[in-house]
Parts: sequence; C-alpha cells; structure tokens
Amino acid sequence: MSVGVSRRARLVRLLLSALALSLVAVILLPVAYMVMMSFKTGTEIVQDPLGLPGSFYLGNYANALSKMGYARSVLNSVGITLSVAVLVSFIGALAAYPLARRTNRLSRALVMLTALGLATPNFVTITPIYVIFRDIGLLDTYLGLVLAFTALNLPLAVFFYTGFIGSIPVDLDEAAKLDNCSDFQIFFHVIRPLLGPATATLSLFVMLMVWNDFTYPLLLLTDEDKFTVMISVYRFVGNHNLSPEDLFPAAVLGSLPLLLLFIVFQRRIVSGVTAGAVK
Amino acid sequence: MGKYRIFLFTVPAILVLGIFFVYPIALSLRLSFTDFTGVGIPKDVGWKNYERIFTRSRYLDALGVTLLFTLIVVTIQTALGLLFAALLHRLPAVRNLCRAALFMPAMMSFVIVGYVWQFIYSPFDGGLNALFASLGLGALQHNWIGDPHTALYALAFAHIWMFLGYTTAIFLAGYAAIPQEFDEAARLEGTSGWQRFRHIEIPLLAPSFTINIVLSTIGTLKTFELPFIMTRGGPDGATRTLSLHIIDSLFGKYKFGFASALSIVMLILVIVITLAQNRVLRAREERAR
Repeated sequence: MSVGVSRRARLVRLLLSALALSLVAVILLPVAYMVMMSFKTGTEIVQDPLGLPGSFYLGNYANALSKMGYARSVLNSVGITLSVAVLVSFIGALAAYPLARRTNRLSRALVMLTALGLATPNFVTITPIYVIFRDIGLLDTYLGLVLAFTALNLPLAVFFYTGFIGSIPVDLDEAAKLDNCSDFQIFFHVIRPLLGPATATLSLFVMLMVWNDFTYPLLLLTDEDKFTVMISVYRFVGNHNLSPEDLFPAAVLGSLPLLLLFIVFQRRIVSGVTAGAVK
Repeated sequence: MGKYRIFLFTVPAILVLGIFFVYPIALSLRLSFTDFTGVGIPKDVGWKNYERIFTRSRYLDALGVTLLFTLIVVTIQTALGLLFAALLHRLPAVRNLCRAALFMPAMMSFVIVGYVWQFIYSPFDGGLNALFASLGLGALQHNWIGDPHTALYALAFAHIWMFLGYTTAIFLAGYAAIPQEFDEAARLEGTSGWQRFRHIEIPLLAPSFTINIVLSTIGTLKTFELPFIMTRGGPDGATRTLSLHIIDSLFGKYKFGFASALSIVMLILVIVITLAQNRVLRAREERAR
C-alpha cells in the first residue's frame, strides 16, 4: 500500500515537473522566436512565418551591424554603465555606513529621503532635470547622463548597503575603535573590504537598469556619437517601419550582452533581486 | 558635535540627491503653476494646468488608461506568479532552472520587448496570428494592437510576460521562509494540497504579497516605453498613459509647465496608491500572524 502511494506520488510529481517545464518553455517562445527570426531571409519570413530558418543567414546581422552603429553605441553604454556602477556603489556605501550604525533624527530623515527616492518614478523629475541640464550645459553630455542615472540608482544603493552593513557585527567597529581608529579608518579598513558581495549584486542591478533604460538617453542625448545601445536600436528599427529583417537582429544584438551576463551570474541576479525586495 | 561627524559620509549622497532629486521635485512643483516653455521668465498661471488635466477628457482618459493598465498587470501578474511559485515550490528538482528561465525576459529592455511583441501581434505575418493559423484556429486571428478594445490588454500581456519571473522569484523566497513544521503538521492532519495552499501558504505569504503588489504598482503606474514603442498611445487613445503625455508635452512642444503639472499628479497618484496598499496589506500581514 505505502509503496503504491509513493509510486503514485512520484508519478504525479513527474507529471507536474513536465507541466512546469512545458509552461516555462511556452513562456520563452518569444525569445526563441526573436533569435530564429533574426536568421531568416525576407522571403522566408513572408512564406513561412513560423518555420525554422533554412540556413544560418547572416545578411540581416551584417546589415544591422553596419547601419545601427553598434560598436560605437556598445562602447558608450559600457562606459556610462560602468561609471554609474562605480559612482553609485561608492557614494551609496559611504552614506549607508552612518545610517546603519547610528539612529537619530538625521539618520531617520535620510532613510525617509531614500524611501521617497525609491518610490518616485523618474517621470516626476524628468522635466526639471531637462531644464536644469539645459541651463548648466549638461544636455547631450556623457557626464549629464551619468549624473542623472547615479541619482536615480542611489536610493537603492543606500537602502541595499544599509541593510548589508547592518548585518556586519558592530564588535568589529568597536575593536578597531579600541585601536584608536577614526570612523574613516574603520570604514575603509574594516567595513569596505567586507562589502564585496553586496557591491557585486548591486552593480549587476545598476548595469541592468542603465543598459536597458530608454527614457533618459532619449530625452538627454541628441548627438548620434553618444547614443546608447537602446537608442541605436530604437532609431534603427523605428526608422525602417518595423521591417523584421532589421528588427530581430537589432533586438538580439541589443539583448545579447545582458543575456550573456545573466547566464553567467544567474544565481546572483535572481537572489539579489529577491533579497533586495524582501528586505 | 562628535556624534554627527560620521554623517560627513553622507555629504556626497546628500549633494547628488539634493541637486538631482529634491531640487527637481521642488522645481517641478513650481513650474507646474506656470506656462513655462523653456525661454524667458515663467509666467504664473495659478491652477490652470491642473484644471486642464482634470477637465479635459483627453487627460482624464489617460488617467483611466494608466489605472486600468496597472490594475490588469498587478492582478494577473501576482496571481500567475503565485501559481508558478506554488508549483515550483513543490518541485525542487526543476525549481532553480524554471526560476532562472522565467526571469530571462526581465533582462531585456522595454524597447526590445516592445518591438518584438509589436511584431508578434502584427496582423499580417506576426507570430501570434501565424500560430493560430497553423493550429487551425484562424478564427482567433485579430489585429491585437490595432483594435482599441484589445490594445491595452495586449500591452499588459507583454508587460506581464516580462516581469512574471520577478514576481515568481519573490513568492518563492516567501515560500522558503515558511517553516517546514507547518507543512508537516498540516500533512499529518490529512489536509489536501489545496487546503494547505489556501489556509496555510497564502496567509503566510502575506509579506510577499505586499512586496509584489507595491513593487509592480510603482513599476506600472509610470508605464511609458511599451505604449511609446508599440502603439504611440493609439489606437484612438486606448493606450495613452500619463507618462506618454509627459514625454509628448516635452518633445517638440516644450510645454514644461504643463508637463510638470502632469508629473506632480503622477507623484501624488503613486504616493497615495502605494501608501493605501501598504496600509491594507500590512494589516493583512498582522492578521496572518
């Protein structure tokens, strides 16, 4: 009897696993569709819209690569993304230290400001930022875009590091204090070296956000040489009336760097998102 | 004084947030009472911009579209995420693989998701209609984003597709926090899987509900990219969201004053709705304890 039950339970579990895997496969169909379409010739797309490509036709890619200014925009995006990641983690960790270690009126006010920053959509500040940038000459500059993204991501960084530093035992600070270390020395020599995992997770977050963002570069950049990848994709595809031969290779090229990053750091990204959200 | 010295560490953050977050909100508030178009001195117009937003059907409709979109996305995404998490929680062998796979669409940009789904929905050689044709379901073929009755739902579907993995991962983290004894005790009492789900898991997942609902609400109320890319707000304004109006008022029109008023309305909307949700959902968490 008990053998029968456990066998039935195993069968149910097997069927459920098959169900889960097929549901997930269906959900990933659009990604597969995107990749498949990018290798099809124009005639194949019209004659057999769902079929596999007859061969790995690379003409669409050659065309997209030459016309969308891919290499240049990747360089721009990488430079902007890395600058923002460095600035956000440095300024964020620095600000989080006193917030995690002291509770007083000032720290509570700053935590409130951070919470407000987390909840405020960037559409609320986008008009004044445009006006301010225009007045101080930051429109259409890398610096302007980097600063705008830094401000947008800083609340998350402060929030994230405050939680992380809070979980580091205060004994470490106390011991260093007995050795006559100043607050600055404690931060740089005791706390900072322990922040590696938090910085790695946060940086992945920031990269994801900055690489994929569309609104800020759309509004703040006009010089083609400074375009980010998403603006290049938008210009290239939008200018061609949604021709699939342009759309799909551009979509693959635009997503590829982050999809590769995701495959490598999948565990850290997923657990980081949930840890950040649960706290 | 020494007590506050350590707060020197917060000076760079305060500067950045002060200049690029607090000051802009204050400026936005001030500009919202003017007719500023970018040149000259802003002229005070009192509540005129706000009056315009709340009396013209064009903007009231956008408010309605934004709220409806948020309602559709938040409800369906939370329900589906919960179902996936409940399923995957019971299947440790495939859990991590499925969680990662579901997460993949969230790695893509709205721009790319928008274009790919625009093509999937396109009436002629689009993937969805071609799929229906090949399954012999030609009757289901439809101009999904060209019809004002289905366009917003089609966009919501793409949005949910993108973030379902997020919701599922957060629910799974909630599941991981449920003590195993609860489940075992309930099993010993001979409860069915459905009873455990309904009376043990759902109440204990209350904190995950709060996080998921608040996060997706904040994310959806500002929806801009999908309608901008896929429909430009059409057909017939069916997908024209508040943020689309903000960008439209800026681009080429330079109606900074009016755009500011729209964004203040959005800020108030976000704050009021998320505070209300927080109150209700936190009370629910308390009851679950």
